[in-house]
Amino acid sequence: MKNRLEELRTQNGLTQQELAERVEVSRQTIISLERGRYNPSIILAFRLARQFGVNVEELFLFSEEEHNHE
Amino acid sequence: MSNQMNWINRQIRLGWVFLAGGLVVAVAGILLPRLVGDLSIDERIITGVGILLLGIGTAYLTHYGAARRDSQAARRMIAEEHDERMQILRAQAGNRSYWVSAVMAYAGLMWVSFVENGSLPPLSADALWYFLAAVVVLPFGIYAASLMYDQVHS
Repeated sequence: MKNRLEELRTQNGLTQQELAERVEVSRQTIISLERGRYNPSIILAFRLARQFGVNVEELFLFSEEEHNHE
Repeated sequence: MSNQMNWINRQIRLGWVFLAGGLVVAVAGILLPRLVGDLSIDERIITGVGILLLGIGTAYLTHYGAARRDSQAARRMIAEEHDERMQILRAQAGNRSYWVSAVMAYAGLMWVSFVENGSLPPLSADALWYFLAAVVVLPFGIYAASLMYDQVHS
């Protein structure tokens, strides 16, 4: 899933490690999230959104076509 | 944060349990032949299990004891161990290795069944040992390889 994680993280002057510690995940998870290879649980999605003061929909860009499993 | 320290303290208590259990088992292995006389198994096996438990307990205490003294290290350790993505990758790797071990165990059972009706030759003690070793090692290898691959590619 496309997201604005890297954009918001760098805007806020955080390293991947710092962000990982704030939301209690590993740095590797932050890397996978930013590359769009991993979709977070809803709890992690909310934690990340709250970290940047945005809504989940503003952070993660859900596209119906991308996730069509037909 | 207190939840995190509770979790660290639980791991340390578990380490002490392993240490104490290992000590008891190791001492039992040393004392049993003197108290009971001849045992049907070699008492060194019992002592060996005790030493293994002692080692596990020591590892727990060293690993989590260091985290208790350093809160940042504790936070990092907890994040690494409870990380949701790693939990998913471990579950996937475990699932794959389970199927490998299930297939191998099934193959072994089938072999033994066919030996009984004379369709296949019986396994020698050496062949049986190698097969059982493979049933342990191969799924572990699949688990480790799966975890390493998924760490990089997902």
